[in-house]
This record gives sequence, C-alpha cells and structure tokens, in this order.
Amino acid sequence: MTRLVLVLVFVCCFTLATQLAPVFESLQARGGRSSPLLALVGDSRRLFANQFFVMADVYFHSGYYPTIFDARKKEGPSHLDVAEQEGGDTARSGRKVVVDDEQFMGAPRDWIERFGRNFFPTVHTHLQGETAREIMPWLKLSAETDPTRIDTYVTASYWLRTRLDKPKEAEEFLREGLRANPGSYELLLELGRVYSYEEKNSRVARNIWELALDKWRRQRSAGENPDPRGQEEILGELVREDQQSGNLKQLLADLEELDEATPRNAVIEKEIQDVKAKLAH
Amino acid sequence: MNNVLALAGVVIKEMRRRKDFYVLFILTALITTVLGSVKFFNDDRVVRYLKDACLLLIWISSLVIAVTTAARQLPAERESRTIFPLLAKPVSRAQVIAGKFVGCWLACGLALVVFYFFFGAITASREHSWPLAIYFQALWLHWICLGIVVALVLFGSVVFTAPSSNATISLIVVVGILFCGGHLNGVAVHMQGISGSILYIIYYCIPHLEWYDVRDLLIHNWERISWAVCAGATFYGLLYSAFLLGAAWLVFRRKTLTV
Repeated sequence: MTRLVLVLVFVCCFTLATQLAPVFESLQARGGRSSPLLALVGDSRRLFANQFFVMADVYFHSGYYPTIFDARKKEGPSHLDVAEQEGGDTARSGRKVVVDDEQFMGAPRDWIERFGRNFFPTVHTHLQGETAREIMPWLKLSAETDPTRIDTYVTASYWLRTRLDKPKEAEEFLREGLRANPGSYELLLELGRVYSYEEKNSRVARNIWELALDKWRRQRSAGENPDPRGQEEILGELVREDQQSGNLKQLLADLEELDEATPRNAVIEKEIQDVKAKLAH
Repeated sequence: MNNVLALAGVVIKEMRRRKDFYVLFILTALITTVLGSVKFFNDDRVVRYLKDACLLLIWISSLVIAVTTAARQLPAERESRTIFPLLAKPVSRAQVIAGKFVGCWLACGLALVVFYFFFGAITASREHSWPLAIYFQALWLHWICLGIVVALVLFGSVVFTAPSSNATISLIVVVGILFCGGHLNGVAVHMQGISGSILYIIYYCIPHLEWYDVRDLLIHNWERISWAVCAGATFYGLLYSAFLLGAAWLVFRRKTLTV
C-alpha cells in the first residue's frame, strides 16, 4: 500500500512538473531574467522593491528612521540621493552625526516613551566612507525585485563609484539596469559619469551622454513627459566636458541648447557671450 | 525552593529531549550561512544585513520555543493525569506554577546562549570584534523579555482550554506588542473621546516588550546601553512576570484538574 502511495505521489509530481515547466519558461521569457517566484508575485514586487530601497535608507541612518507611526515632517527624496549637512564625527562606528532640522520623534509624551528611547537609535547619523557598503545588499535586492526601478541603479552606482571606489561594479550594475530599461536616459547619464569621473575616458562619456540626450528627446517627442532636469543635467555634463576639452564650437552649441532648456539663466547667457567672443578672435 | 528547582529540571530535560530547539537552531544557522555566502558587488565585508537576518531568526525561534514550551506544560500534565501524583507529593500549586516558569525560562536562557554565541561567531568572522558588553545586554534583555512571555503563556494555559489556542493568542499578543506597543500613545492622542482614553489605558497596562528588542543597536554597532537602564528594564520585566505568575496561580489554585 505504501509503495503504491509513493508511486502515486511520484506520478503526481512528475505530471505537475511537466505542467508547470512551460508556464515558468513563458513567465521567464516575459519578465527577462526574473525568477519564477518574482513572476508569480506580479506587480506587488514593486512594493517589495520600494521597501528594500527604504531599508537601504534605514541602514544609511544606522537604524534611526521613522516607522509608519511617526509622521515625517517633510516629504522628499531619501537621504541616499541628496547631499547632506553633517557635523561631528564618530569614526569608530563609521558614522557622522547630522545637524537635524526635521526631528521626527519630538519630545517624549510619557515616562514609558522616554525610557523606551534608551533601546533604539535616537541620533541622526549618516554612514561615512566605506561603511556605506552596508546599504548595498538592499539596493541589489531592490533591483532584483523590480528591475524597472531606475532610481535603484542610479543610487547604487553613485555610492559604488564615489564612496566605495568600485567603478567597475557600478558600470556592470548600470549595464544590468540598461538591459532591463533600454530607453532610460537616467542610466546613461550615470554611466557617462562613471566613464568621465572614474575612468577618465571623456570620449566614451561624451558619446554616452549624447545617446542619453537622444533618448530624452525621443521620450519627449513620444509624449512621455521626461523630467526636464534630466535634460539640464545631461547638457550640464556635456558643457563641462566641452570646457575641459576646449572644443569651443561644440561648447557653444551645447550652451545654446542648455540656454533653451533653462531660459533666462544669466550665468549661461554670460558664458555664451564669452564663448562667442573667444570664437570671434 | 527544592521542589521548584526539581520541577524546573524536568522541564529542561523535556526540552533537551524534544527536537524544537535543534530544528530551529539548525534552520537559523543554515539560513544565516547561506545568506552569508552571498557576495554583493564583490565586497565580502558587508555584514549588517547578515546580523539583521540572524537576529530576526533568533527572535522568531526564541519566541516559538518560549511559547510552545510554556503552552504545553500544564495542559500536558492534566491530559496525561501526571498532575495528580505531582500534587499528591508535598508540592503546592504555587510551586508547580513557579517550577514550570523557572524551567521554561531557564530552558529559553540556555537556547539564547547558544543562539547568541552563534551570532557572535558569525559577526566576528566578518567584523573581527567581540563587543561583549552589548552582546551580554542584548542577551540579558532578550531573556527578561522571554520571562514575561513565558509568564504570559503560563497564565494563558490556565485560562484557555486548548494549548493550541493559548499559543496562537499569546503569539499574536506578543508580536502585536512588539510591533505596536510603543506607539499606542501616539495613536491615542489622535483619537477622540473614550476610545483614545481606552487605548491610553491599554498602553500603560501592557508589558512593553519592545524595550527588550535592541536589535538595531546591535546591528548598527551603537554603543552599549547604560547599566542603570538595563537594571530598570530588568526590574520592570521581573515585576510583570511576577504579576502574571501571581494571576496564573490565582486562577490555577481554584481550577478543577479533571479534563
């Protein structure tokens, strides 16, 4: 009897496997490199990806982070992708105390809350230097869960190239992102930065930024409303590159385009006049 | 006291015989080791995610061990009718409750020592340091927390009829307190009328188990807690455990023991 049951279970498993294999293959083909588990999770993967990104921010603050019960005073980008004001130093732990203008905790309401604050981090700090590597697993996980989340790739690349001295890994990760998001100008902008700032390869960087600008224009003509700041940033990098290489004609062309993107910018207009004067000599 | 210790010894022996601890420890070790083998961006010094995962597993495992061990103590004695020969000896019902509590609590403590030693070893393999003071504080506070949980479950086992319902309700209550207990006052101030007052009363009445969860301090290498604060939390925990055990004894001393 037991043998018969075992044979029956084996037959069931085999039948189920033959049924599920093509389903998983088609899911994988649709979702690129994603695993069957993630394919089955469906769109809720974005929630997980966002949560993993938040976890990276939590780690960046060494656990000092508002819960769902704490109201944040300001909504905006996470500290992972903005510059921060910092003061003080706790070198042993790899943290720096941050001058905080948006305390989410406020004063304790009662003795239980006051006493309870001894048991979790209550000081606003940011990870410094190489300790920033602690946020990377969450960014990687976020990208694995939702490969279309462009912010994750850009943020990870920023930390890899600026703090962790890993431009190769940053490039690899961005290329991974580009395979999942071939039309993203943000990823190309960041990739260009890897080549320009870390690899010191201005020719490749310039080509990549031109491609990024082309992608931005295509998105605009397709009515996808790309972020105008994206165009400004790309042109800004191109102008900087032109200034370094001394290519005045190209600089003038890029400046004029930047001027169109950011009208009535006195600095740019003055720069255009200066370049025109130099070209006239 | 001898009776209490003898009863506690039986509970510890029982835990040693059962497979719960071994299974949970092997699972924790296995998952942590697998996670530790993952390399992110060719950097093998990343450690905090590993500490986070390991501590989470330790907390889950310890709560499961504490709740399941404590929940079956009195019902098992009643079902197998061993409670009668036990009480026929010169052992009072208060001593039975105390013995079961001490046994479960010590058993949890032994399990915690093994778990935290493993955690320390895993962390030291990457960070090359043993911050013993904060490890000891984390273990101690965790143990005190489990003391409250064990007392709560023992109280539940004389109130609820089935061990399964007791274990489930206790776990829900404990997890609920761990997640929301410290925030009830914040929610209460935004509520109008009597519901806000009721929530505030609940906030003051529940044991604040979230105090004992110092995982964030451990994961992110914060400095140790002040010893006076630790002593305060210990006193608070012991007071709650004593209160819950007293309540359990009050119910148990008048309870009919026939199933």
